[in-house]
Amino acid sequence: MNGLNDYAPVVGQEVIEQLQRLADRLGRRRLIQINSTRTGGGVAEILSRAVPLLEQLGLDVKWEVIHGDQQFFEVTKAIHNALQGHKVTITPAMLDLYREINRENARKFTWEADFVMVNDPQPAYLINFLRPQAKQWIWRCHIDASRPERNIWKFLQEIVSQYDASVFSMPQFAQSLPHLQYLIRPSIDPLSEKNRNLSPAEIRKVLDRLGIEQDKPIILQVSRFDSFKDPVGVIQAFRMVRRHTPCRLVLAGGEATDDPEGPRIFAEVMEAAKDEPDIQILLLAPDAHHEVNALQRAADIIVQKSTREGFGLTVTEAMWKGKTVIGGAVGGIVLQLRDYNTGFLVHSPEGCAFRIRYLLHRPEMARRLGKIAQEFVRQHFLITREVRDYLTLMILRESPNERIMEL
Amino acid sequence: MKINPDQLAENPFWFYECFLMPMPIGKKAQNLRELLQALRELGESVLYYHFFQSRLAIAQPAEEYPNEFALWAANALQDSKLAEKLSSFDPFDYENMAQVRQAVIDILEDYLWDILYVPWARSGFEFQFCEASNVVMRSQICAHTLLEFCEGLRKVGLDAIYYHFFEARWRLGVSKVDDFSFWIETNFGLPKLVAAIRGIDIYFYSLREIRNTLLGLIHQHLGELCERTQ
Repeated sequence: MNGLNDYAPVVGQEVIEQLQRLADRLGRRRLIQINSTRTGGGVAEILSRAVPLLEQLGLDVKWEVIHGDQQFFEVTKAIHNALQGHKVTITPAMLDLYREINRENARKFTWEADFVMVNDPQPAYLINFLRPQAKQWIWRCHIDASRPERNIWKFLQEIVSQYDASVFSMPQFAQSLPHLQYLIRPSIDPLSEKNRNLSPAEIRKVLDRLGIEQDKPIILQVSRFDSFKDPVGVIQAFRMVRRHTPCRLVLAGGEATDDPEGPRIFAEVMEAAKDEPDIQILLLAPDAHHEVNALQRAADIIVQKSTREGFGLTVTEAMWKGKTVIGGAVGGIVLQLRDYNTGFLVHSPEGCAFRIRYLLHRPEMARRLGKIAQEFVRQHFLITREVRDYLTLMILRESPNERIMEL
Repeated sequence: MKINPDQLAENPFWFYECFLMPMPIGKKAQNLRELLQALRELGESVLYYHFFQSRLAIAQPAEEYPNEFALWAANALQDSKLAEKLSSFDPFDYENMAQVRQAVIDILEDYLWDILYVPWARSGFEFQFCEASNVVMRSQICAHTLLEFCEGLRKVGLDAIYYHFFEARWRLGVSKVDDFSFWIETNFGLPKLVAAIRGIDIYFYSLREIRNTLLGLIHQHLGELCERTQ
């Protein structure tokens, strides 16, 4: 496990010292983080890094996970999808189950805390049973809730309104709530298996194992095979590029098992890639972090042609590796990429093809943009910044009505 | 004028750190008319965020436009003419946020008066209004001499550069005067160096570049002094 000082060569010693100074102001405040899983998914990934770092900084931190049966997680998945704007049917019985499982979990929690940060909707209802056990309750929403399904949002709004504050990842996800809302952007861990530096030999080994040749420039998209990631659009763009320049396309990701359209999209992708030896489709396990890292480092150009996106951490990961990314102009990708600066935004397969061709013929430009992109990520989207934001938030929450706190 | 690098300042310079927490207020503008209306109604803290604090919250490297309104006009409304007008708007030309608000309202009203249609942003590109809370904290980094000042400048985070160089120009309320040049002027004189620092056009440099430019200027003026901090 990496310690705080291991980050100094990456972000600068001054950033580490700054974290320590901020944490010293908080002393041994008790912080409880709650979510619904210890492994898998972006939230668990962030907490597994942020919690030890906050502990090293001197806070008294506990990470609690709520437990439930498969039925409960089907309900919370439906709530999750509804918050993202999907039409789903959620019956009163499902909501009863949601409340009941939260009640059962609440019985196990006997801690007392200064701050409780509840991540996403699964454990949100705990506040109904545990309110007196903490001074401050903060709801941390990681989901793109910019256009939630109305009935579910009304249900959740009633729960979340009891919190003292909420935190969203993008301003457009903020909602009408009776308390202050804060913005904490997601981050990646530069020392994790998915992002750490790899030697050329390590990269080569992964490519050999996956059967990817490096005889032509590699275009890569890493994402689930779902319609919002537009893998078919990427194949269309690739075919347009291929008329002019030889290259290879790698589409790597997991199956969207919780997406009813997943199998249909995957079949469409396979059909679109048929008879094309230079397109490789890789189905990767959810924990294939090392493979994703190697693929991103081996790629010449990385594409994330989403038509809907929360923040787009795969874009951040690619930028961190000094790659030029061509991304769909949606969600958090818009915040991360700017034409001729940190990458390219596109709106269509044609646009995507055009930018790929441009970068294939201008490798020096690709290198320059990649370098700028990497510095942009270093400054704004690494885990140390997220830890700093948590510390700042806790300090601010102790005097929530002050806009400027001078210490 | 020659200066001894170890000459003590009358008052030491304490570097402050500034931790910003953006706060979305849940309001957005889809078109130029909605932006204008919001600018009339929203609190000054919102204007302050989008003109000043957003630079610390997040800024693309080598950003083409100096404020978020100009950027939105260019990228979301795709209205280059409006983006040009808003880019040459400098909030530092005004004494308080009420004047800044009126001036930017005047620009938008004039612009809307002359055009035949209201520019709209595509869905997903709306202007999202925010404000921010701030923790300002005295760091343990302090300079008694110009030598120590150079060392401190290298050590502090970019937020300190924002606080002392960018926000200070507004906080001190004196045209182009920032904490750094003010301290150098009042403790050591050095009018050429002070003028050069105040001549930095803050809109064309990232915070990191401002730090390097400041070190470069001090180096240029006091060569030997700064070399000792390398």
